[in-house]
Amino acid sequence: MDRYNDFSVDDFVWDDFFRQWALSPTPETDSLWDDWIDANPEMLGKVEQAKAVVLSLRLHEPDISDAEINQVVKRTVGRITEVDEGNLRSAGRRVPVFSIPWMQFAASIAFIMLLGWAVYSVMIKREEKPQLGQQDSMIEESNSFIEKTNTSSQTMQLDLSDGSRISLAPKGRIRYPERFEGERREVFLEGEAFFDIAKDADHPFLVYANGLVTKVLGTSFRIKAYGDSHEVTVEVKTGKVAVFAQSDPHLKEKVEDKQFKGVVLTPNQKIIYARDEVKMVKTLVEKPEMVVSKAEIPQFEFEDTPANEVFNTIAKAYGIDILYDETLLKDCPLTARLDSQTLHDKLNIICKAVESSYEIIDGQVVIHSKGCRN
Amino acid sequence: MDSTPSFSNDRLLWQDFLAGEVRAFEKLMSDNFRLLFQYGCKFSKDRELVKDSIQDLFLVLWEKRGNLNPDAAVKPYLMASLRRLMHRQVSSRAWVGGEALQEEDDYFDIEFSVEDEYIANEAIAVRSGQLEKLLNALPRRQKEVVYLKFFQELSREQIAEVMAISPQTVSNLLQIAIKHLKAHWKAGFLLFFLLHFLL
Repeated sequence: MDRYNDFSVDDFVWDDFFRQWALSPTPETDSLWDDWIDANPEMLGKVEQAKAVVLSLRLHEPDISDAEINQVVKRTVGRITEVDEGNLRSAGRRVPVFSIPWMQFAASIAFIMLLGWAVYSVMIKREEKPQLGQQDSMIEESNSFIEKTNTSSQTMQLDLSDGSRISLAPKGRIRYPERFEGERREVFLEGEAFFDIAKDADHPFLVYANGLVTKVLGTSFRIKAYGDSHEVTVEVKTGKVAVFAQSDPHLKEKVEDKQFKGVVLTPNQKIIYARDEVKMVKTLVEKPEMVVSKAEIPQFEFEDTPANEVFNTIAKAYGIDILYDETLLKDCPLTARLDSQTLHDKLNIICKAVESSYEIIDGQVVIHSKGCRN
Repeated sequence: MDSTPSFSNDRLLWQDFLAGEVRAFEKLMSDNFRLLFQYGCKFSKDRELVKDSIQDLFLVLWEKRGNLNPDAAVKPYLMASLRRLMHRQVSSRAWVGGEALQEEDDYFDIEFSVEDEYIANEAIAVRSGQLEKLLNALPRRQKEVVYLKFFQELSREQIAEVMAISPQTVSNLLQIAIKHLKAHWKAGFLLFFLLHFLL
């Protein structure tokens, strides 16, 4: 440690061993440095300054979320397993092609031609973009379609021939017939939109979005189906919707049936459909809203009310199911005023008061309680 | 940062990866992703490009896994490979777009900043602030050496590998950078004290 005896503050700042101690001290380095400072008390000021400088000088590192990392890793793993299957078929044919000089030349020529084609297709063939949902439409082609893309930064309002209204979010793209004919009303969506669908029980309304089919009779709901995302979400505001994957083997039957088949969603429920895994997860929307009309909103003021009655009031107001054990909760009286909180805050307050907990399972609230009788 | 346990884990993971285990591939990639992403962002502001580059890097490694060195130090090897790949990409992109090359080639974007929570008094605040300015103003290669040495804690040999220069050049660059930092810092600090006592 003697070499540190005539160090200045900046010498310390750029010394490896000193930095290591300042940034991540261990019991060993702590005792080593403390002993040294005891022996050289005049250095204490310098050491403290240098330490502060080392600790205070940080790097601004760009952020990336775990979810984002996960997504890229999954995608890449998907690619290599794909490639490996391909390799089994063409084993041993892999030659480092681009190390052959004339191949590089040929590749450059090919690249230039490709570039020319790309420019051509962007500049001239712009109009011939493939239409949304054309390949998997279940509609007779005779109908004439309107396709709208929202390139503005504001929501775009669209009125359909049946009186339904669609609010298309920026960057959203939608395709719908000029006039709805036939048994079903069908539209195709890419991106995000809110649907307010006119009631017509004889003509179900179907939205096709990134492999997910949403079927409704008359309700309002929101769909998020971004082209670059692996998930599609459907959030129900009012009414009832049924959703199913476009890859469903019973697709035709489910589309045509007058009954609701598939996963049925009610208000304040939301479904997340993971495209890669063909898996649907039902849950509640982030901020559930009350479904009853303003006049019917109950007074959320409880005085010595059994907790099961409190939950019933909330379940009715939000149009959701709350599952609990009645025999346990009827002995848990609650006194509280809960008119201004969100649904989740209300549930948290009640659960805290009656020593229970809740979780969202399959779009329902499940209360776990041990009861209040001691 | 105690590197010994993670170091040997890295080594095992690397060897499983070379043996063709998909799970090792997945873990190697997710373990090193954030580090590589942060390093990659020094060469391009385009996050998507950085993410794609890391994906390409791992795809290439997977394909070449039969020919890779089983004893390679994983972290510097990955950083070096990403650096090469991104330099190629950035310059080819500049060529396609017809943009001037020199600016992209010179690109190494890091921002040092001063965290207030460690600042006990004004003198330290001024010292740290000054050092921050000096660091941000260093020439590109010196900045990268300082970054790898003091903020990624790589050794001289590892830095040489990452930047594809000789260990001697690393030492030289580092020495010039530190000398510059110390000299200017001292001058600035003296000035501060002088002003402080005069006013």
